[in-house]
Amino acid sequence: MAREVKLPKLGQTMEEGTIVNTLVKIGDKVSRGDVLFEVETDKATLEVESPADGFVKAILVENGETLPVNTPILILGEENETVEIETRPSGKPAAAPAKPDAGKSAAKVHTPPPSEAAETPGPTTRVVRMPKLGQTMEEGTIVTILVQVGDEVKKSDVLFEVETDKATLEVESPADGCVKAILIDVGQTVPVNEPLLVLADRDEQVPQRFITALVHEGTAPAETVPEHVTAEEHAAAAPETMPSSPPPKPTAPMEPAERLFATPRAKLIAQELGIDLRGVTPANAIRIVEADVRRAAQSAQKAAPPVTAAQYTLGQKIPLNRLQRIVAEKMLWSKQNIPCFYLNIRADVTELVALRAKLNKTAPVKLSFNDFILRALAIGMQHYPIMTGQLDGDFIRLAASLDFGLAISTEQGLVAPIVRNCGTKSVYDIAAYCKELIERTRSGKLSLDDLEGGCITVSNLGGFGIESFIPIVVPGQTSILGVGAIIDTVVPSDGNLLVRKLMTLTLSVNHKVVNGAEAAQFLDFVKKQLEHPDTLLD
Amino acid sequence: MAFSLEDRREKPTPKINDLIRQKLITKEQALDWLRSIYEIRFFEDKVYDLLGQNIIKGASHLYAGQEAVAVGACAAITKGDVIGSTHRGHGHCGAIGNKYAQTEDERQMHWNRMMAELMGKETGYCKGRGGSMHIADVKHGNLGSTGIVGGNIPPAVGAAYAEKYKKSGAVVLSFFGDGATNTGAFHEAMNMASVLDVPLVAIIENNLYGMSVPFSGSPVEGAGCAANIENAAERAAAYGVPAMIVDGQDAVAVFLAVNDAVEHARAHNEMTIIECKTYRWYGHSRSDPRVYRTKEEEKAWKERDPIVVLSNKLLDEKLASQEELDAIRARAEKTIEQATQFAMDSPWPRPEELSKDVYVEESYPADVLAKDKDNAKKAMVATRAYESLLKTLEGKTKKEIADKAKERIKSEYGMTVLAMKDAIVQAQAEEMRRDPNVYIEGEDVGIYGGAYGATKGLLEEFGKERVIDTPISEAAIVGAAVGAALRGLRPIAEIMYVDFMPICLDQLMHNGAFNRYMFGGHANVPMVVRTEGGVGRCIAAHHSKSLEPWLVNVPGLSVVMPSTPYDAKGLLKAAIRSDNPVVFIEHKATYGQMGAAPLDDYIIPLGAADVKREGSDVTLVSYSRQVMFCLAAAEELAAQHGINAEVIDLRTIKPMDIKTVAESVRKTGRLVTVAESFCMCGTGPEIVRQLFGYTFENGRTGFDYLDAAPVMMAAADVPPPMSEPLENASIPTPDKIVAAVRALL
Repeated sequence: MAREVKLPKLGQTMEEGTIVNTLVKIGDKVSRGDVLFEVETDKATLEVESPADGFVKAILVENGETLPVNTPILILGEENETVEIETRPSGKPAAAPAKPDAGKSAAKVHTPPPSEAAETPGPTTRVVRMPKLGQTMEEGTIVTILVQVGDEVKKSDVLFEVETDKATLEVESPADGCVKAILIDVGQTVPVNEPLLVLADRDEQVPQRFITALVHEGTAPAETVPEHVTAEEHAAAAPETMPSSPPPKPTAPMEPAERLFATPRAKLIAQELGIDLRGVTPANAIRIVEADVRRAAQSAQKAAPPVTAAQYTLGQKIPLNRLQRIVAEKMLWSKQNIPCFYLNIRADVTELVALRAKLNKTAPVKLSFNDFILRALAIGMQHYPIMTGQLDGDFIRLAASLDFGLAISTEQGLVAPIVRNCGTKSVYDIAAYCKELIERTRSGKLSLDDLEGGCITVSNLGGFGIESFIPIVVPGQTSILGVGAIIDTVVPSDGNLLVRKLMTLTLSVNHKVVNGAEAAQFLDFVKKQLEHPDTLLD
Repeated sequence: MAFSLEDRREKPTPKINDLIRQKLITKEQALDWLRSIYEIRFFEDKVYDLLGQNIIKGASHLYAGQEAVAVGACAAITKGDVIGSTHRGHGHCGAIGNKYAQTEDERQMHWNRMMAELMGKETGYCKGRGGSMHIADVKHGNLGSTGIVGGNIPPAVGAAYAEKYKKSGAVVLSFFGDGATNTGAFHEAMNMASVLDVPLVAIIENNLYGMSVPFSGSPVEGAGCAANIENAAERAAAYGVPAMIVDGQDAVAVFLAVNDAVEHARAHNEMTIIECKTYRWYGHSRSDPRVYRTKEEEKAWKERDPIVVLSNKLLDEKLASQEELDAIRARAEKTIEQATQFAMDSPWPRPEELSKDVYVEESYPADVLAKDKDNAKKAMVATRAYESLLKTLEGKTKKEIADKAKERIKSEYGMTVLAMKDAIVQAQAEEMRRDPNVYIEGEDVGIYGGAYGATKGLLEEFGKERVIDTPISEAAIVGAAVGAALRGLRPIAEIMYVDFMPICLDQLMHNGAFNRYMFGGHANVPMVVRTEGGVGRCIAAHHSKSLEPWLVNVPGLSVVMPSTPYDAKGLLKAAIRSDNPVVFIEHKATYGQMGAAPLDDYIIPLGAADVKREGSDVTLVSYSRQVMFCLAAAEELAAQHGINAEVIDLRTIKPMDIKTVAESVRKTGRLVTVAESFCMCGTGPEIVRQLFGYTFENGRTGFDYLDAAPVMMAAADVPPPMSEPLENASIPTPDKIVAAVRALL
């Protein structure tokens, strides 16, 4: 009897999933527990297992489709059973957001078009595609290719390093096999779900046409088929001998990147040192050479402030790097969608300065003011949990854990990775975590995990001598704290004039969630924590 | 020896029975001649047929009609003698192969391998590398067959010289056509053979046409004329040697004439020219419509078919019955049918072995390589020390100062200081003492000591047999060296200027460099062509070029260009010991250059570059005199501009030590190549090509490590001018190298 397999809810928060890999085809015999699909959720890549023994009668989805939980994705049946599929059964939550085309494509049975028959690869052939490694990821740039055609790889071996708008991530092999073709080159930016690599058993021949068709499917122009695509069958690669290549899929429009001129050696050194060439300015204004990269690497190694402005010359046209583009989009979105109010307060941190100096004589990890501020915020949020809230339809949803962003300036631009679970961390734990986080940020080794979530971000421009400034709330968060410089200030005290060290705190707050009184109390609380820093050490 | 011309057609040919009575031949041999003629004929008919079926591809110049020449001539020599063949060589190859075949099976295999070669199969005599025009069994006294008309004659002269030098008693038969007697190579070779007194029999197969042009006219309207004489043999008068004209359709007549010439050559080391009047049944090649000759002429000649002529003699002299002759014919036909089947069933050569046998593979023991590295460094240091001693030591004369300085270098470094030309003389002398097969030939190499003194004193030590002053005949000089090398000697041929190389390039390339490959890896050509080039003496465009890019373009050649006396001596000794043909190019401006070299015997491996100065900022790759310019530039760059240049002396341009270049570029990221040859398609672009293709252990290529586009400095694209300022302007000089490097960094 025919049986529908629906997209299961693979995690508590899962609402929808993207099909990344379909591991069976029509007619396959499957057993209960066999993996049918790989599904990408906002959290991870997960496997959808077969709920029963049977034969695959129909596949209702295509790779790359994003579907709500409970959408039928496959039909199982008996070997000789005829299954008729008309439309998607309607028992699914109405509110679930689905891509507009999901309904359409789910209705059709996915069978290979006849023209592909000649190009059908063998049973073990599988195409590794660009996974969606994060909720917002639309494309990724190949930074490193760690395998070569002919390599044997094991499931979970790292195949590529991919740079997204957030971080550099690893693409793992979905299975054991032999690399038959690599379809992309280092430096290429590839939309999610485009083919990257073809795996198969060592003995299995993968038809060149199949590979060529995959390349055409990708965004690479036909003329720039990477050389190693044809590594195994060199002669057969002429694109014009492809009678039935599928029409190129419409892909996310890619912005025409300005061509970057760099010598081969400069590219090689940049790769070795982890320098993004897009941020490197050639001294001779013609092409980037090794010396430019080394200079960039050196300045990246120096402490963050002052961020080097010396590389730029007036009148120069600086290419917008990916990071800055993201910052621009997010900040604009924030300004347009988050109605803020702003609170200023001055904290007397004289004691904190003294305490920090004392502790740092012996502390294994040097404590920074930010570490104390994060700790103070954590205590404050525990008292004023509304400060973690996010508008969610008719609800305000409070955060489950106290994850705070920390704005860090890098060679490439501004990043605000997340310091997790500040509520359960001592100031020492926070310091250790932050130190490591900053190192990872500067060396471009942030994971996606480091960048998602958070309810507040701390941005400290005190090091530049800024007394106060109004920061912009990071989308998805409730507020942001702008920390100014610590300034020796004459203050009246009991009829005397004292010189105290004052620090201005500016809190930008999403008025959709929090009102002024609550936020003011919270900020005052935080200020007091900082003024009596012994409590921060508990 | 003097010119005489005997036309043997005027007298009746002796009876076969007379020859048998004189014990010149046996009856069986006479019958075997007919069998050989039949085999060649059926072979050619079959080839014609298979060409039409496209089973045999390429050119095939058929020998049908001329069989009596090859069969009669080869009957007159013995095993151990040598032949030289032509593009119309199936008959020669067939006849000499039959001579060596001991059994019926061997004879069948001989024809099998011939047919396989024509089909381009692996089982062919040359493994399918030569085909119809280069078919030869070089292991059995065949110098090979050339595709260039006249090109095979100079090697035959050299081979004959080698047999004389070795006192082997062997003679050389050189076959060629009437057309070849109009080439320069014929003249150069005949002249050289006549003055060298060599055991050579030159056999002109006058089939009346050089392709379509009649040798001495034709009744056909529109046909041309190639020579103003009727008999090619008359040309022997120019060389003062005896000549004969015989009926080339009569194997008996050919046999007798060649037999007489061979006996004369063996007894007196003297040459003879024999013109055989003959005719080819087919056209020049299969596509030839034969419009230049009349049907009547063809009919008349075919009535004198060598098969008919010999068969009639055998019948008339009652040496065989018609049935016996029919049996011979049937057997020959069967042999060729079987050979065809064998060839059809044979495998193709494997494309993976495409590059096999271009060179004799040579390698050097690690200790030789290591010793060279030590010596090279030491020689550089000692040479610098010598140069500064010249400035600091005192003495009455320059010679006294130099002698004192040399003594100091000898005691402090254990090295001798010598001029480039003396290094070259010493290298040759040492190798000639070591190996009696080494000899020198060239223009003015004897009593004059070489135009640049590079053979001075060698005549005195080694005598005229080993230091040969030749006529001004570049093609014959190099061609003779090829022939002598094929016969086991190790010739050093001097070509006075590399500018003269185009005159002998056919010999150097088609015979010297290609023979090994064309003949299936069975030939070795261990020879050195010493020459010199470059500007520096204001002797203008015919005497100042650097033509090494032309030479490295020849597969099979090695090209060596030393920059110091140390390098010159060690490399020349290695070149003489190499089993491959090596062109050794000296620089005319460096013969007086002094340098230090070890006192003991040493060689420098071919194909190993030398880092003459270590540096970190830029890699300068050069060779020959320009290395000295690079070193001078490097010193200035270091002293004036804080740039630390690495200077690599390739020493051997082919094979090129691209590894050393690539490792250096990996370090510096910048490459400047400096050569004195013309810029277009020069050695610089070749260095860059190989660098791009070089893959390091990490998978990166030479390209990946470049931080700037390579700069390729070379001579301007102008004929080298005489005037000194222009001469200097035409080539890279230290100031230009400094400027180029500074612009790059």
